[in-house]
Amino acid sequence: MPQSPDPKRHWRSLEELADTPHFRAFLEAEFPAADDPGGVSRRRWLQLMGASLALASVGGCYWEQRELLPAVDQPVDRLPGKPLHFATALDVAGAVQGLMVTSHDGRPIKIEGNGAHPLSLGATDAFAQASILSLYDPDRTRRVVRSADGRAPQSSTWDEFERFAREHFGALRDRGGEGLAVLAGASASPTLAAQRAGFLAAFPQARWYEYEPLSRDEEIAGARLVTGGALRTQLDLARARAVLTLDADLFAEHPAALRYARDFARSREVAGGRTSRLYAVEPTYTITGMAADHRLALRAAQVASFAQLLEWEVARLAGLAAADGADDSPAEDPEAPPAPPYDAAVAQLVRAAARDLWEHRGESVVAAGPRQPAAVHAAVHRLNAMLRNVGETVHYTEEPEGARPAHHEALAALVEALRGGTVETLLILGSNPLYNAPADLDFAAAFEQAKVRIHASLYRDETGRRCHWHLPEAHFLESWGDARSFDGTYSLVQPLIEPLFGGRTAIELLALLRGEAVPRPRELVRATFASIAGEVAPEELDLQALWRRTLHDGLLAGSAYPRQLPGLLAPHRPQPPPPTELDRGLPAGGEMELVFCRDRSVFDGRFANNGWLQETPDPLTKITWDNAALLSPATAAALGVEADTRVRLSYQGREVEMPVYILPGQAAGSVALPLGYGRTAAGTVGGDAEAGVPPVGANAYRLRTSEALAFGSGLTLVPTGTPYRLATTQDHHAIDTVGLRGRARRLGELIREAPLDEYLAHPDFARHVVHHPPLKSLWEEWSYEEGHRWGMSIDLSKCIGCNACVVACTAENNVPVVGRERVLMGREMHWIRVDRYFQGDPEEPAAACQPLTCHHCENAPCEQVCPVAATVHSREGLNDMVYNRCVGTRYCAINCPYKVRRFNYFHYFGDLDQPGNEVANMAFNPEVTVRGRGVMEKCTFCVQRIQNARIEARNRRRPLADGDIRTACQQACPAEAIEFGDLNDPASRVRTAHNDDRAYGMLAELNVKPRTAYLARIRNPNPELSDASDEHDRHPA
Amino acid sequence: MSTTGIRPEDTMSDDPRRRAPLVTGSPTFSTVTEVICRVAEAPKTPLAWYVAMVVSGAFAGLFLVLTGHLLVTGVGVWGNNAPVYWAFDITNFVFWVGIGHAGTLISAVLFILRQKWRTSINRLAEAMTVFAVMVAGLFPAIHIGRVWVVYWLLPYPNQMGIWPNFRSPLLWDVVAVTGYATVSALFWYVGMIPDLATLRDRARHRIRRLVLGAAALGWRGSARQWQHYEKAYLLLAAVATPLVVSVHSVVSFDFAVSIIPGWHTTIFPVYFVAGAIFSGLAMVITLLIPARAFLGLEDLVTIRHFDNINKVILATSLMVGYAYGIEVFSAWYGGGHYEQFAFLNRAYGPYWWAFWTMVVCNVAVPQLFWLRVFRTQVWLMLPVVLLVNVGMWFERFVIIVTSLSRDYLPSAWRPFTPTWVDFGMLLGSFGVFFFLFLLFLRFLPIVAMAEMKTILPGSDGHGEVGQAKHE
Repeated sequence: MPQSPDPKRHWRSLEELADTPHFRAFLEAEFPAADDPGGVSRRRWLQLMGASLALASVGGCYWEQRELLPAVDQPVDRLPGKPLHFATALDVAGAVQGLMVTSHDGRPIKIEGNGAHPLSLGATDAFAQASILSLYDPDRTRRVVRSADGRAPQSSTWDEFERFAREHFGALRDRGGEGLAVLAGASASPTLAAQRAGFLAAFPQARWYEYEPLSRDEEIAGARLVTGGALRTQLDLARARAVLTLDADLFAEHPAALRYARDFARSREVAGGRTSRLYAVEPTYTITGMAADHRLALRAAQVASFAQLLEWEVARLAGLAAADGADDSPAEDPEAPPAPPYDAAVAQLVRAAARDLWEHRGESVVAAGPRQPAAVHAAVHRLNAMLRNVGETVHYTEEPEGARPAHHEALAALVEALRGGTVETLLILGSNPLYNAPADLDFAAAFEQAKVRIHASLYRDETGRRCHWHLPEAHFLESWGDARSFDGTYSLVQPLIEPLFGGRTAIELLALLRGEAVPRPRELVRATFASIAGEVAPEELDLQALWRRTLHDGLLAGSAYPRQLPGLLAPHRPQPPPPTELDRGLPAGGEMELVFCRDRSVFDGRFANNGWLQETPDPLTKITWDNAALLSPATAAALGVEADTRVRLSYQGREVEMPVYILPGQAAGSVALPLGYGRTAAGTVGGDAEAGVPPVGANAYRLRTSEALAFGSGLTLVPTGTPYRLATTQDHHAIDTVGLRGRARRLGELIREAPLDEYLAHPDFARHVVHHPPLKSLWEEWSYEEGHRWGMSIDLSKCIGCNACVVACTAENNVPVVGRERVLMGREMHWIRVDRYFQGDPEEPAAACQPLTCHHCENAPCEQVCPVAATVHSREGLNDMVYNRCVGTRYCAINCPYKVRRFNYFHYFGDLDQPGNEVANMAFNPEVTVRGRGVMEKCTFCVQRIQNARIEARNRRRPLADGDIRTACQQACPAEAIEFGDLNDPASRVRTAHNDDRAYGMLAELNVKPRTAYLARIRNPNPELSDASDEHDRHPA
Repeated sequence: MSTTGIRPEDTMSDDPRRRAPLVTGSPTFSTVTEVICRVAEAPKTPLAWYVAMVVSGAFAGLFLVLTGHLLVTGVGVWGNNAPVYWAFDITNFVFWVGIGHAGTLISAVLFILRQKWRTSINRLAEAMTVFAVMVAGLFPAIHIGRVWVVYWLLPYPNQMGIWPNFRSPLLWDVVAVTGYATVSALFWYVGMIPDLATLRDRARHRIRRLVLGAAALGWRGSARQWQHYEKAYLLLAAVATPLVVSVHSVVSFDFAVSIIPGWHTTIFPVYFVAGAIFSGLAMVITLLIPARAFLGLEDLVTIRHFDNINKVILATSLMVGYAYGIEVFSAWYGGGHYEQFAFLNRAYGPYWWAFWTMVVCNVAVPQLFWLRVFRTQVWLMLPVVLLVNVGMWFERFVIIVTSLSRDYLPSAWRPFTPTWVDFGMLLGSFGVFFFLFLLFLRFLPIVAMAEMKTILPGSDGHGEVGQAKHE
């Protein structure tokens, strides 16, 4: 195989890294403590030793040193201090995002989306943004841990494990793998799949189980019900004009959420005159519901009935159209049986939506979420077929996961096998079933039946702590690997840093256990790559060049799954459901429905130890550092539950106590429980019982059974009355009447929105919301006519409130994490926040969100009042913060009408000086000052990026071009809601946005001259429903 | 006290044909000196003073400890949050600066207006001013995030070539408060020189003589010295008089110049000055009542003094009440809905209790001073002035916290919850104030003896000093 010209180029930086004084100091500081364990706790000692070993081995020879091809913007010569970008991919439970990672002197510090990847298009979600912090998490497993039954765990080494594995797995191989079981999470890695096949070939009697607590099983089953095959649905939202989601959070939870958010946002552009319309039917508020033009809250169990009714309505329209022979104007058939008396809102919506979908047949989409049973998915497939969307806006590809059993069935089978005593050796790859298995399986008890339990994971979690061997897994930024995204696009995962804590990937581990002496993960990945490339691009002869191109681009072009056109199996005659099933009142008998949700901050619990995510407010509830049972206001009133208290939830004999949050728009009688909290072995952030760190939130898995994985009925909820304050960043207590009225009075001015028809009639409506006298400044104003004039625009029609910008900003700008107690005190530090407001009826509200950063006002009120001139304007109009001049009077923050300034009430990075935490310092962006105690900070418009782009342009002797500078929030935004650039450039996108009819300056009447323009949100209500929607949209209350 | 001589009720005479006497009993030059010096010279300190010192010293110590805690840990030990970036810290600052107003008013303004009744109380009021301004000055200094660079607020030439931002009201504030503190202290000290000399002359112990001698700056009481002294005093009074108006006006600019609804109003300077005089005089009465009783000053500080001060309190209460009304009126009349909300929110929002405490204490309760009995009976006026002090603290709290906790964007609204450190430092600031004041009472001439002698009956040369005139 040909070698690259300088095979050592990349890794040299790591040696430099390992040689920095920081690391020398670290090593020197750590060893003395290790010499004398007296006075140091066992755990502390192990941590210190582990860290020292890990860091001592950074410059070691574990990794075969071959070429790593930098991706974009590769300079001719690598310069120290100059960041490089590498393409890779992140696989979270089988959902893949193509990424571009910024590496500073061999240290990945920032994750961005890969612009070439069809499913990320340059954007990322909050999890991808935060994964950089997980890489440098001091709580990650730093060593192999061995524990015999009944004895304290001991620190061990990979060598020891390899010795053990040779012996143990050698014996197993001789028995054909009898008594061996593997439990792994979902993965989209073809190499891992190949390793799995190889492993099972070596151990033919071994059993492989795959389990994810949050799974797409029902979706797969639904497709099979209708088509008989394993098919995956791919939506084309860019072309869709009418979209109806059934309990589907397309913009957050779908594996292709980033793409869908982008496509939807594009379809909302009013300029083209083809604005799409979104209906959302869902039990709990999601960000898709927030983006919807019409939203109906239904209990999760009722969604099936709604789908049935919709199918009946659409079938009626289709039938009528067929009977009339006219395609375009479905008329009511006077002979048709009248619809039974449904709940008025349901009947109205279903009728209007059905007509809308039908009118836009071929350009509409119906989608159901993973929480809904297979029957609903089946109905959705039939609906899309009836609406002639298949092949237009709805495509089918093969479902690579089609062959596996459902995740919960697989786990149940494993438990069965464990109980039967047929599993002697259990190998767990990354999963944490002791935390997230359905409660009725009693996994913990069954698990003890295995005599040898081996766990490989990033963290020594609940499961890892009860295994005989715990092995540190490599983070994806330390790994060779590959992944196929939802549409099949093949990406390579390349390491950006030597494993910090000696972790190995599942791929390596399987190879090792199979008996390979020195697993060479890169070669294993290359082998898979060769076979996939052979299928995708058989004509490509130079495999090495293709490999390099794939590494560079981050994807293998043309590797998306081919589209298929399946036929439907049996014809279906839809029947309307009985009206009682769509009754939206509280269920009689007080039996509530419980709905389990993927958490928007910690996913299924795997990100529980990530401070950035824990501190990110939920888009809807604005809760940080907690989960809560979500109830609608009417449900809470009926049950006598008050806000800021705890409730006891019992379901099938299991009880959990947790705080309650009253969420407008939650379906009546339905209680949503976000999963992923209550971790007892997550780490010092998410909860660690051994270290005395209480868990964050309550563990909803304790109520989750195999029968009710998604939702179930029969929950009883008893208020305990125990007060509990949730650390929210908005709406801190039940608001009084005066406050409510004041809020209602101003919301229409702050978030300007209009229905589409009003916009078309008055395109500049947003500029006439506030009228004010001519504005005069007290000061002589600076002219910004010359040079650059940085500005931002935020399109409220596009923003979905997904929080990617918030975490991206945190990562880029070294924003401190302050913790629950300080959020409760009102001291969160985010430079960008997403404000969320509800409008209308509290049971059926519309929601709006508005990202808010520093507006860099030209007449900045903050600058005028700072007594020491620590905040001043640059000549390009940036409102700069001079940290080392700031004395901390906080007057600037007081005088900021947007309240976007943040004050360091304490020294928030103090804990990084603690022994063992030094590694977390590596996550800092070296280009951004780490602020100390007592100074004010705020959004800088990513001034370091402006400077970098400027230097780059100057070096290349060219002017700065529009798009050279992308702020962190803008870059992460999947919806392209944020634009940034030079307002003096008449062709720039931000100038165009500022010139848009919809552009308005929030609070511009204060004559602060904000540099950020908002583009008013245009809702597109169905005219049939517009009586109701007008009220919701135009007169927020 | 003598039962002969001028009776207390004589001082209340409003007979226009002759001036009411300003003292009671039969004070002579020597009894005045005796009464006043006795306090500073008593060989045995009264037990009550020790008790008071221990109590106020404990609170002053608490203040010191909590300040240390604050400086070591960060401003976060207070309950301040976003958006309530200022809370108890600036409330206390404005409260104490306001208290500090009465001293200058009494000593300078009344001096220039030749209101001779001021003489018996001006020393005490000036001392109160100096200590109140000292306490007030602590808060802005320690409330900043990086106390170690607090001197950057001062316009001093430096190698960085950086000046403070002269557009910032906080800088004006620094100038106004430091200027005021300097002038008040000077005024207080200059006025005390002849009395310090008296104490020096009476001192028996050598060290005491030396210390007082140094403090008296070589005062000999010569006619030339008196001439210079009177001129200097008059000049200082003239300099201090505009400060009475300017200091609190500038303090109010901290709020009025900002864009926060509820702060951004032009009435603030006037309203703050009236409020400051109001609270300062209430504090004077609060201090005067026990000082007069314990130190035996009944003949020098008469009921007429209380009556006069209480009338001014009543007048300023009406001004403050008017300002409250006008604020609400202009919010309504101005039509700005953010401002309208700010006032509705004050009265009916989450802090309604603070607002109504303020209104009751500052506007309703002082109306009792329309009744002569409340103005002249010590036990009746004491609760009133105490409530005025409470009310004026709440006024600043209401202005600062209610406006900040709910300004423009509802998403940023957040209530303020004080921590124990907030309360500790509020109480501690009283401790520091009373600690200093008690030291003053014990060791310095608490009444301007020299001046006092000029207002004794007969000191004008008609009749004999110490002879009550009954004509």
